Amino acid sequence: MRIVIAGGGQVGSSLARALAASHEVFVIDHDPEVADVFQAMDVEFLVGSGTSEEVLGRAGIAQCDFFVAATGLDEVNIVGCALASRLGRAETVCLVSRPEFLGAAGTGGRLGAFGISRVVWPEAQLAADIERIVTAPGAIDAEVFAGGIVRLLEYRLAAGSPLTATTLGGLRLPRGSLIVAVKRAGRIFVPRGSTRLQAADKVIVMGTPEAMHAVEALLNPGRAGSRLLVTIIGGGDVGFQLAQRLEQTPSIDLRVLERDADRGTMLAGRLSRTLVLNGDGTDLEFLESENVGRSDVLVSVIDNDERNLLASLLGRQLGVPKVITRVGRPANLRLFERVGIDVAISARGAAVASILHHITGGATSLLAIVEHGEARVFELVVSPSFEPRELKDMGAAEDAIVAAILRGNRAIVPRGDDRIEPGDRIVVFCTQDAADRVCTFFTGAAS
Amino acid sequence: MRYSLVVHVCGVLVRLFGGMFLAPLAVALYYREFEDAAGFAVAAIVTLVVGHLMRRAGGTSAEEAVERMRRVEGLAVVAAAWLLIAHLAAIPYAWIGVGPIDALFESMSGLTTTGATVFKDFSAFGRGIFFWRSMTQWLGGMGVIALFVAVLPRLAIGGRELFFAEAPGPSEDKVSPQIRRTAALLWRLYAGLTVLQVGALWLAGLSLFDAVCHAMTTLAAGGFSPHPQSIAGYQNPAVEWIIIVFMFLAGANFALQYRALSRRDWRMLVADEELRVYAGIVVAATLLLVLALGAAGGVVPTVRTALFQVLSILTTTGYASVDFQLWSEQAKMVLLVLMFIGGCAGSAGGGPKVVRHIVLARYTLQSLRRTLHPRAVLPVKLGGRVVPESILQVVVVFFLFYLLVFSLCAVIVVALGADIMTGVTATIASLGNIGPGFNEVGPMAHYGDLHPVSRVALILAMWIGRLEVLTVLVVLRPEVWRSGQWTAKGRSAAREAMAEAGDTPA
Repeated sequence: MRIVIAGGGQVGSSLARALAASHEVFVIDHDPEVADVFQAMDVEFLVGSGTSEEVLGRAGIAQCDFFVAATGLDEVNIVGCALASRLGRAETVCLVSRPEFLGAAGTGGRLGAFGISRVVWPEAQLAADIERIVTAPGAIDAEVFAGGIVRLLEYRLAAGSPLTATTLGGLRLPRGSLIVAVKRAGRIFVPRGSTRLQAADKVIVMGTPEAMHAVEALLNPGRAGSRLLVTIIGGGDVGFQLAQRLEQTPSIDLRVLERDADRGTMLAGRLSRTLVLNGDGTDLEFLESENVGRSDVLVSVIDNDERNLLASLLGRQLGVPKVITRVGRPANLRLFERVGIDVAISARGAAVASILHHITGGATSLLAIVEHGEARVFELVVSPSFEPRELKDMGAAEDAIVAAILRGNRAIVPRGDDRIEPGDRIVVFCTQDAADRVCTFFTGAAS
Repeated sequence: MRYSLVVHVCGVLVRLFGGMFLAPLAVALYYREFEDAAGFAVAAIVTLVVGHLMRRAGGTSAEEAVERMRRVEGLAVVAAAWLLIAHLAAIPYAWIGVGPIDALFESMSGLTTTGATVFKDFSAFGRGIFFWRSMTQWLGGMGVIALFVAVLPRLAIGGRELFFAEAPGPSEDKVSPQIRRTAALLWRLYAGLTVLQVGALWLAGLSLFDAVCHAMTTLAAGGFSPHPQSIAGYQNPAVEWIIIVFMFLAGANFALQYRALSRRDWRMLVADEELRVYAGIVVAATLLLVLALGAAGGVVPTVRTALFQVLSILTTTGYASVDFQLWSEQAKMVLLVLMFIGGCAGSAGGGPKVVRHIVLARYTLQSLRRTLHPRAVLPVKLGGRVVPESILQVVVVFFLFYLLVFSLCAVIVVALGADIMTGVTATIASLGNIGPGFNEVGPMAHYGDLHPVSRVALILAMWIGRLEVLTVLVVLRPEVWRSGQWTAKGRSAAREAMAEAGDTPA
């Protein structure tokens, strides 16, 4: 497929990197300096504006299948998409950063009139991701798939966790849940019955919503039903979005720390239950005077990696049990988690995943990228030529596992004697390297 | 401030008010009360002449003058016109032999929709006079000046200043971007509701005359009744229920009612915070009152009586369906508290208004929270919107001045011989435009026995209260007068400047 990306920022470059191997990718940016990033990739870089007909023509917009507008300016993105859809037959994906372009339902609203097929709002997606993690007690990652019938939770095991008591085979996990992966010492693998979990392991559990409730109760006894104090540092787009979302949950008490007085006034005007504090989240004295250490969750979403890291580490020092930090530069993601931040998460990551999902759709769809790209969750339709067999006959792999079989509107978390039939929809968890192999195995085509 | 302009616009308004005497004149003639009719005719002529002379004295043609009205001039016009109109509206009372202070008291009490009376013996007055009493309340309820703004095309622009000076809620509440249309639509709603209530009361068994008089004073949240024992004199539960409903409407924001009615969107009413609090106060106060009264006379009659009295005091109407002077101190306390609350902003009710209490309560709470979190951003919100700091200050200042005027006036009334309960309730009943108080000024009593100076003080309190304190107090500032001048020098100076710039059309 031919794909044109306008805007060579972080979203543009991540997309180009992920798509370059199997597609013809053109990147348009008016800043020649960003070209360096793309030199190393197998893509065509054009200097110019995504709103210029001439530049779009050079990128072969007439034969293009997908046009992604990912510049930093909403209006430029909209005009670019409108032009692209007039000049060719491309499906257009438009990034926006302000809510007024979205309709009441949070979908594209009236942007369809501009020939925009899909609107992606990275800040809102990041806010939604953080919300899921905040509201899952103890978890450091949380995802929901297949319209809510499959959930994923990731935990870091503490010393004395009930999961470390014996080998996996001997643990009685709630029915309908499955430990799909363990990350230990930087390596991610699918555990077997003989694996014994240890403190400081990260475990990824998937299952039906009911089973996952039981898992939450097992791993966090006594937390259910009590009030949660959440402190958000940084009242920018993400902080505001997140606060709006979290206000919907009555058992959460919210505080937002915002450095800019005018922005703080705006936030206090628009939010109803949130206490907006005017101060710098990296000022230790201020954090202490407001008793930030008493928070159950600290979310740092300043638009600056260094200050985010500082604020998060201060929060950790003050004793906040769960710290979630926004990361701008993808290279910082792992580093942040290494120095003690529970969850490092990037707006671009969420947007890139959803755009990739949109572009690579079809029989295989990418549901989530977990552990910063080290593992993926796919939803697949098993190919008609697949020879039906029981799971236990497929052999245990170290790098992939069938997490759920979707039949009708319920999910079955399979055991060894469940059969995979042609035409089944299945949810598969696998490592990054195994992704192509797994997709080929079930569908007969690469992802 | 340009005195000439103020005098001129006052003259325009006063002259128009002269026409209002035609209605009671017709009623008096219909009932063959010729002496009263002569009074109304004299009042009409005096008013027309005074208005015309003032209009002439002011000089400038209205179109030129009014469009350049400044805020302080608007306030001055409204304050002065109200005082002047009250004097002119007193002429019919004075004509039939009521003393000058009493005539002015009755007239001011009518126009400000207070409903306090100095008439001792109701049988001494004709129907024309009772009609005029009720009609002054009806005109004052929605606002005389709002009515004139609605009908006078020439006030189209300056009318804005006049409209908001007369009904200064904490925020501007319009139903149309055009002020003249806003005034006209609100008056139409007000008149429509009045007609509806006349019909309802007539069907419930009142005579047409009584129905008209009561409808006019209910919708205005006024409280004058042609019956010496007020509503208690009819002993008619249906009438009480009808008045309960219309009192509730009179105490609610008319602009809100208009919007809900014109868009057929009743959720708007439920969503309005002031209306919700207003309704909550009515329910809570009624429950308290039922508890204080005890249900000896049956539950339904007690609830009806309690609800009637609560609405009568809260909306500042001032009717009585029983003599609540005879109630226990506990029950009277509930009513006394309600006297300090008042109706909704943009209603016919007086008092400090529910919305100001909401804003003040939230402001206080936020100030308390600020001591816990010194760096917190704590805006005061109303209906999900932030109330600007400037309005918060005005609300606080309003309460301070309200209390100041209240204390001063109460001190005067008590110093001149009234007991404390009488002094306090007479003052708040006048300042809040309620009407009856307790003891000497109870619902079945009258203000006629108070010291004449007290009565004058209460007349001023009614005036200040109706124009919501600040309108009057601003105009009383000396610098307003020091900067005053008779003719519009500013205008000619501007014209000269334009001439210098070569802008003048030859």
